[in-house]
Amino acid sequence: MTNTVKEERLKKGLTQVQLAELVGVSRQTIFSIEINKYVPSVVLSIKLAKAFGKKVEDVFKLEAND
Amino acid sequence: MKLLLPHRFKRLGAAMAPLGFLLWLLMQKGYINKLLAYCFGQPVPGDDRTWFQLVNIVAAILGFFALLTGLYFIAFSKEKVEDEMVQSTRLQSFQFAAFLQIIVMIAGFLFVLLAGDPGEGGIMLFFVALVLLFWVAFIGRFNYILHFKYR
Repeated sequence: MTNTVKEERLKKGLTQVQLAELVGVSRQTIFSIEINKYVPSVVLSIKLAKAFGKKVEDVFKLEAND
Repeated sequence: MKLLLPHRFKRLGAAMAPLGFLLWLLMQKGYINKLLAYCFGQPVPGDDRTWFQLVNIVAAILGFFALLTGLYFIAFSKEKVEDEMVQSTRLQSFQFAAFLQIIVMIAGFLFVLLAGDPGEGGIMLFFVALVLLFWVAFIGRFNYILHFKYR
């Protein structure tokens, strides 16, 4: 799965810490999501999409091997 | 999450574990005897004098249980922010530690099979080391992933 969390975060002018506080997770979680090392849960995905004002499927995309 | 201790226990554990290990090591190397002999102006006993032995036993028990309790505090303390990734990493680290322990246990048994019986003391030490290996591997991997790899 790929995501555009970093791009959307930068568009909003947020730091990783600010986004983490916004959605209630640690900065390390945001970092690992951005580098595609961690796949967030449905709840966290929805929270992130809401924080960006986007749909979940616009932020997170399935890859061919998923 | 209900089984986890507050975050402040992590620092307490980080202090207790090495101090406990140091005390146990000093006892094993005979430095407790040397310290007692120096403090009380007596020669280091060649035999098992009661009160020297008693102090050594107390030091060994205190040291070992301080080490175990310290490791428990470190392993089961909450992170500053407890979220799903932290919990996932905690579970993966447990699996890693269990897998490593099994591998070392099999290697140990093969070693005994090929090299011969190390004796009761050697076997006991091996099993104690095996228990410690599990906790050290779990704590090491968990903290490495959270605080170094994904810093």
